[in-house]
This record gives sequence, structure tokens and C-alpha cells, in this order.
Amino acid sequence: MKTRYRKVVRDLTHDYSKNLLLVLAITIGIWGIGSILGGYGVIKREMRDNYMGTVPASATIELEDSISVSLIDSVKQLPGIKEAERHATVLARMKVGDRWNPLLLFVIDDFATKRTNKINHISGAVTPAEGTMLAERTAYMVMNAKEGDELIIKAPHGEPKKIKLTGTVQDAGLAPAWQEQTGYGYITLSTLHWLGEPQSFDQLRILVTGNQHSAQYITNKATVIANWLKTNGHPIHEIQVPPPGKHPHQSQMNAVMTIFIIFAFMILVLGAILVAESMATLMVKQVRQIGIMKTIGAGSFQIIRLYGLMMLIICVLALLIGIPLSQLTATAFYKQIAGLLNLEINNKDIPFSVPLIQIGSGIIIPLLAAAIPVIRGSRIPVRVALDNYGVSKNRPVAGSWLLKLSRIAGSSEIFMLSIRNIFRQRARLMLTVGLLAAGGAMFMTALNVSEAWNKDLQKIYEQRLFDMEVRLQSAVHADTVVNAIKEIPGVRIAEGWQYASTSFVKENNYEVTRTYPDKGHGSFTLQALPVPTRLLSTTIEEGQWLTATGANDVVLNQSARALSPAVKIGDPVALLVNGHTTLWRVIGFSKDYGMGAGAYVSLNAFTDQLHTTGKINMIKIAYANRSKAYAIQKNKEVESLLERENIAVSASIPVWLLKNAIAGHMKVLVNTLLSMAVMMGIVGILGLMSAMSMSILERTREIGVMRAIGATPNKIRRLIAGEGFLVGLISIFIAFLLSLLLSFYMGRMIGGMAFRTPLSLTLSFPAIIIWVLIIITGAYFATFFPARRANKITTREALAYE
Amino acid sequence: MNQQSTSLIQLSHISKTFPLAAGSFQALKDIDLEISKGQLVAITGKSGSGKSTLLNIMSGIDKPTAGNVLINGIRVDKLTESELAAWRGKNIGVVFQFFQLLPTLTILENVMLPMDFCNSYPRKERRDRALALLSLVDIKDQASKLPSALSGGQQQRAAIARALANDPPVLIADEPTGNLDSHTGAAIMELFAGLVKAGKTVIIVTHEKDFAGYFGSTVSLLDGAIVH
Ligand SMILES: Nc1ncnc2c1ncn2[C@@H]1O[C@H](COP(=O)(O)OP(=O)(O)O)[C@@H](O)[C@H]1O
Ligand SMILES: [Mg+2]
Repeated sequence: MKTRYRKVVRDLTHDYSKNLLLVLAITIGIWGIGSILGGYGVIKREMRDNYMGTVPASATIELEDSISVSLIDSVKQLPGIKEAERHATVLARMKVGDRWNPLLLFVIDDFATKRTNKINHISGAVTPAEGTMLAERTAYMVMNAKEGDELIIKAPHGEPKKIKLTGTVQDAGLAPAWQEQTGYGYITLSTLHWLGEPQSFDQLRILVTGNQHSAQYITNKATVIANWLKTNGHPIHEIQVPPPGKHPHQSQMNAVMTIFIIFAFMILVLGAILVAESMATLMVKQVRQIGIMKTIGAGSFQIIRLYGLMMLIICVLALLIGIPLSQLTATAFYKQIAGLLNLEINNKDIPFSVPLIQIGSGIIIPLLAAAIPVIRGSRIPVRVALDNYGVSKNRPVAGSWLLKLSRIAGSSEIFMLSIRNIFRQRARLMLTVGLLAAGGAMFMTALNVSEAWNKDLQKIYEQRLFDMEVRLQSAVHADTVVNAIKEIPGVRIAEGWQYASTSFVKENNYEVTRTYPDKGHGSFTLQALPVPTRLLSTTIEEGQWLTATGANDVVLNQSARALSPAVKIGDPVALLVNGHTTLWRVIGFSKDYGMGAGAYVSLNAFTDQLHTTGKINMIKIAYANRSKAYAIQKNKEVESLLERENIAVSASIPVWLLKNAIAGHMKVLVNTLLSMAVMMGIVGILGLMSAMSMSILERTREIGVMRAIGATPNKIRRLIAGEGFLVGLISIFIAFLLSLLLSFYMGRMIGGMAFRTPLSLTLSFPAIIIWVLIIITGAYFATFFPARRANKITTREALAYE
Repeated sequence: MNQQSTSLIQLSHISKTFPLAAGSFQALKDIDLEISKGQLVAITGKSGSGKSTLLNIMSGIDKPTAGNVLINGIRVDKLTESELAAWRGKNIGVVFQFFQLLPTLTILENVMLPMDFCNSYPRKERRDRALALLSLVDIKDQASKLPSALSGGQQQRAAIARALANDPPVLIADEPTGNLDSHTGAAIMELFAGLVKAGKTVIIVTHEKDFAGYFGSTVSLLDGAIVH
């Protein structure tokens, strides 16, 4: 090995504890990037492959009547249609323990030759015989059952029946059952009839030829088919065109991953800045050695290469640790996300580009960051290097306003000296403060956002003054049943409502929705409630809440407004309900947490328009106590009452279940954010440490002089610690301001995904406290060792240190 | 022309002015100096008289504000920083008061380093050459130690071996004995005297009167000017 490279290696191993910290700083960045990019790479690929593998229908046309085989055959003959199938989706209920929970039944025409929205056979029967059912693999958890077990289920119009679970499938187009808190079952039409449900296939799924990726193209095609169906005597209820080629959670996933990737790169950039700072320290420390090397014949470029090599070795070490580590965490990460999205990971390969990006950024970013100090240090003229005075002499002491301020505050001489010192190297001060502030801002943001998330989750409870929502299969007379429920001890309030799936009426008369086959994602519900209601406390963003019992007023929530963004207060809107057009005037816009698109109208006005006066199909109930245990107990009593009264329930949704479902969607993401916060904290402390040791190093001689004129080691330690704390304090202040901005944007993104409204801007008090503590302890440790080292050097040595 | 063949080093009208916060300071004032090959020259003078500045200008470590520096036919003051480094590595061996060995390299490696930087000897020969130089300065047995393990006198010997690594015609030493006891200092001076006998030109800054006997000629500086 060339002698000069020996020096590089020797220097690295000589001060190895410090260099290990540098390796650590870069490793963290590389690790973060690799985990996120690697996990995301697999998820993105598998999400697409899984979803496209199901051959999702381009559009689903819901008919008012049932679809015959011959109709399907005729549709298949129409131009531009590649595939047509009939289907039905029925919301039934299943008995889990002694509770009735929602169960989505997918009625499939032909299991063996299914050509759209395919399901993966996993085990057991391929086609369920009459009286048996296949279950989605994630549904067993909410069914509290396993393959081969029997489950009591109840179709809306039928009696409870025992059904055997004879096989398991994976349906990549659905969110996991536990997340939605809903069971998924797959049955044949004969089983549906066996369950006592009279309906037949009413959904026509089509796969178009041509541009499969344009929603507009698909919509046009589907409209043509719908027109054809209508002229042939088949009225249309609704056309559903989910975003083509996009998994229901695709855009959420992209948005969240973007945040994570930005965070991960930030960590690497901060790590790189840290390394640059340490490189600058090293250059100062070795400036004399540089002078010597130049004296004995080394050119500037040779020196640059020498220190560049040093950096490179640090980066390569970091890569050697970071890449394998990140492959492990990326695997753990994609497994978590795959669980969240109900994906089957068929190909576990982390994209090859990920380690390449890691290598590229793990070398380029730190090298770029270190380039300035390395080049500047290497090009220092020999004489200057040899009689290095450290801190530039002709720079005036900055921050005089701060000095004045501190004088007014009556601080000690030592404190003032600290202030003077930190302002001596303005560039480095800015770098260190920037590093700490960015770290702190991200730390606080992560905690702010997760607290905001919890707070807004809580709003699901706060807006719903009820604890249980019971959806009835068909409308019943309100008085008897609601009064009976009110009689149950512990029931505080019970109100009869109506609900209906709805859509804005457009010119072509069929509503084209973006609803996915699970009927949840992308749906729009109308709720008709008694005015005034005591069970809803929605947040009005604009206009007003419903006050007139008889008026045809409507309040739209933010998701409904997004479906028809041009609508203003005072505008008339037409909503299609069960094939009837209902007319309303918009009086307000609300902000709802934990529900899809929704429209609120007065129950009286609604039943007047639909001629269903006195009827309800939904009961909302508030209990005396909002705890989950109490709610479970009371829900049971309500359900058995309804059973005795012979009232068919299509779904009963306890509010706590809803909250769990929404929390489940985002938990992993919030946790990932938190772990990023921890990484930021580590990088921040390393940064403060390196900055402090640099600033002390530069002043070794000055410290010697101070010692010579009588400063005790204790005074010097206080001086140095004072500097650390001051830098920390400034950074905390900036971090706090930055975190406000960041929290706002992150909250807008995450809130937008979960609730379609920004998360409330929340300041996590613990976040500030924890960060202040981290900075204080960090500053203490960051200054303790350098101060001890400075004090260990004898006065004579310090003075000789030129 | 005739002068050039005998004068290895030729300084003419050298001035050096340092800019200071308050005005400037002239450290060298119109110096003319010739040093011929094979001489052992002493530069003496009080502290602050400009000795180090003069040496720095000769070695190209610093540039004169005015005047020419001609060494071995090369206008040193005209070279760029990178040309200077390569030129100095091959033509001038520099010895410092505080030895200035690189602390993380062994003595042997310190001596091999200039050859590495200047790419001057075939790689395979460098080690043997360095060992030979170390035995010349009598510390071959210390070759594999780190500088911190050596005494001051031994470190200065190693530094001289390093200065000789590229076989430069000129050696420049700024108070090489200033940090050594008088006995060790004398041994170092002996070493320099031996090198001059072997054909090197050696220029030494010193205040020590005891070593006057070693020098062929003496240049005395006072306030940046030569006194005769
Ligand atoms: N880089 C510099 N900047 C300003 N003044 C300097 C610098 N280097 C040397 N001087 C001044 O020039 C004068 C001569 O210095 P020097 O050559 O080191 O003297 P000597 O080596 O004889 O003690 C001194 O007064 C010194 O303060
Ligand atoms: Mg001097």
C-alpha cells in the first residue's frame, strides 16, 4: 500500500471512536433510505401485480333488476367489450360470539372461470357447494373462526343460518377484513337463495377493450353500455368506475411513502452535513500536517484525494453496515404494509435499484457535503497551514446585539464569553444550529402529527354523540321500535334516521361513482335525521347546520363536496336515492371525521319527498356510558330486542369499532414516523457533539492561555457547556417554528388521506419537553468529553499547540 | 552567467510585506543574497528579524512581495502552488524546529512519504532507500516506531532523513536544534556538516553561537535587512 494511504487508514483507526460515530451517522441515513425505498419498492410492485392480477373490472354497472345469462351474452357481443360478468354484493351479518357483525357476501356466478375481479384460491374448496362459503384469508380474525368451522350468518331478508367455511381465498382488491372490521364471504347464487335472500345478480362487470387506463374512456364506454341496457328495458341504478389500474389504497400509499422518503433523505443529508462538519474539524486538526505534507512535496490535489479517500472509506463502511441492515428492515416494513393492504408478496426481491440508490446517495451526498471543507483545507497555502492561527483573525466578533442583550440580562462574564465564542464562527454556528433545528423540527413534527392523529381519531367519538348505529334491512315505522329501545335501561337517547346510498344527479341521469367493489371506498351516503338531532355534533365549516324541520336543506361534508366541487351555499342540488331524484338546497358544509362522502338532510323533508313518512331504516343510540365494555353489553341488549321484534338488521356498527377500523389504517404509518423521529434525535446529538469538539479544538491554545491566566478547569468546562447550551437553545427555538410549518403540511397530507380534511394543528407538549431534554443531555455529553480533553491538556502543551 | 554556475541560490531585491489589521509590516527589505553549492550557511539574527520569512521564501513556502528567487535555474517565485509542491519535494529538504513528523505514521513511513508524493523512486526501492537514510542518521533501529516513542534528538534525525528522501540538493532548517539540549544539538549539527561534505547545500537558521565553527558563511539579519 502506498505510504500516503497508510496515513489515511492510520488516521481513521487512530481516532476510531469518533470516526465510528461518523460511520454511524451515515449508516442511519442509508439505513432509513434503504428501509423505506426497499419496502416501498416491493409494495409498489406487488400492489400493482396483485391488483392487476385480479383483472379488476373496468366498470361495474348496477341494474335495477336482475341480470340473465342471455343479457350477459348480448353485452359481450357489444363493440369495445372484452369481458362481461354478473355479480352481486350483499351486506349480511355474522354472529361472532354473541354479537352480530357486518359480513360482506360476494355472490359469484362461476368460481371456476371467473375472469374479472379474480380471487386467489388458497386452500380448501374452489367452488363452495350450496350452503357453504369461502372466506377471505384476512376475515377469519374478525369471524373468530378457521377453515372448516361453521358460522352463523344472516342475509338481510333471511333467517340466521349455519354455514360451513369450506375454503380460503385471497382478494387483493380488498382492504384486510380486520381493518374494515367486516367479514368477507364468497358464495354462489344458490347459497344466497338458500340464505333466504331473494335477490339475484344485479351488477354487471365489464372489461373494456382499448385504453384501460383512462377513467374518461371507460366512463364513456360504460355509459354507452348503460344506454344500450336502458333502451333494452333494463333500468340502471349506478355506474361505478374505480380509478383504473389503481389499488384502492394506491394513492394513500404513494402520498405516505413520499413523506417517508423525504424524511429518510433528510436524515441522510443531515448525516452528511454532520460528516462535513467533522471533516472540517479534522482539516483544522490536521492543518499543520497538511502544511508538512505540502512542504515535503504533496500537491493540493494529492491532499484532496487523501481526505476524499478517508471520506470514501467512512461511506463504504456505512454502506457495508447500512445496506444489509436496511434489507432486513425493508423486509419487515413491506411485510407490515402487505398485511395492511392484504397483499400476497409473490416476489420478495427488493428492487435492485435500491442498493444502487443507497450506494449513490450514501457516497455522493456525504462527499458533496465534505467537499467544501476538504477542498478549502487542502488548498490552504503552506505558510498559513504551518503557522495556523485557527480562528480567522480579521473577522470581527459578531452578535454584538446579543452581547448587549445579555449584558442587560445581567449575565456573568463566562456566559458572555460563551456568546462571543459561538458567534465567532458564524458559518459553523449556522450549520450546527441548522442541523439541530432540522432534527428537532422533524422530531417534534412526528410527535405533533401523531398526537394530532390521536386527537382527531377521538373526534370520531366527539362528533358522534351516539355509541351504536343500527342499519335496518328495510324501512320500519319509527315510533314502536325507537320507543322500545329507549326503554332499555342505560339507553340515554335513541333516534330513528334514514340512510341511503346516493349520488349527485348528472345530465346523463346515471351516477358515475368512483366506488370500489367493496362498496366502502369511494361511496356516498345520505343521512336523514330528526331536526334537531341530539346525536350528531358535526363541525360546520361554512354556512349553517340543519335547523328547519320541513325545509329541503342539505349539509354536505368535505368528501361529498369534493365530488362536486363547484357547489356553493344556496345552490340547488339533486341527489339520486333508490332511483328517485330528490331536490335540495345547500345550506352548509361540514367537516366529518371517520366517514366517507355524506349528505345530511331533515328526516321529515326526506320522507316527504320519498313518500315514506313515519319510516326509518337506521337507529342511532347513545348509552349512559361511552366505554367500550358498556357499549358491547348494551349493543347486545339492543340487538336481541330487535330480534324479538322481528326487525331485520343489515348492519350494526358500534362507534368504537369504527374508530378501531380507522386507527388500523394508519397505525403503521404513524409508528414509522415516530421511529424516524428517534433517528433524527440521534443524528442531532451527534451533530452537536461534533460541532462542540470542533470549536474547542480550534481554541486549544486559547484555552491554554485562559488556564495560564488563572481560569480553573471548572470555569472552562462551564464556558464550554454554556456554549453547547446556547447553540442548543437557539436550535430549539428555530426547530419549534419549523415544526409548526412541517406539522401543518404533514397533517394536511395524513389528514387528507384518512379524513379528507387536514389534521388539526396540534402541539405535542411532551414532544417539546423531550426534545429540550435531548438537547440538554446532548449538549452536556457533547461538551463534557471535549471539555475534559481540553482540560487534560496541560497549559504548556496547549500553549505550544500552534 | 559565470555566477549562475557557482550560485545555487540567488535572491535579488527580495521584499516581504505582511498586511496587518492596522497598516502593514515589512518583514524583509530589499534582500540580495547568493549561496553557492556545497555550502553550510547560517542565518542569524534576533527573534522577529525575518529569518523564518527569508527561509520560507527560499523554500517556496511563502512568496516575496517583490524580487526574484532563482534556485538551480528555476524562478521559484513564478511557480504556482501545485508546481511549487512538486518542485519543493524534489529540490528542497525542509527540517523544522518541532520536527513535525506525521504522528500516525511510523518513522520509516514518514521517510517514505516524500518519495510517495513525488513519485520519485520506484516503489520497490523506497523502503530500502528509507532504511538506508535512517541508518545514515543512525536511527535504523527505530524505523518501525511511531514518532511519539522517540526522543527529541531521534525525531529530528528522522526529520532529516525525511528531508533527504528525494535526494534534494538543498536542505533548509529553521532552528533545528532550538528544541534540543546542547549535546543532542551538536550531534545534529555534525550530521548537517557531514551532509555538506557529501555535496548538499544546507541553510540553517540558528541563534546558537556555539555552532559558529560549523558554518562556511553567516548571514545576519536585523529588522529585515542583511547586516555585514
Ligand atoms: N504571517 C504573518 N503575518 C504577519 N506578520 C508576520 C507573519 N509572519 C511573520 N510576521 C512578522 O514578520 C516578522 C519576522 O518574522 P519571522 O521571519 O518569523 O522572524 P524570525 O524567524 O526571525 O523570528 C515578525 O515581526 C513577525 O511578527
Ligand atoms: Mg523564526
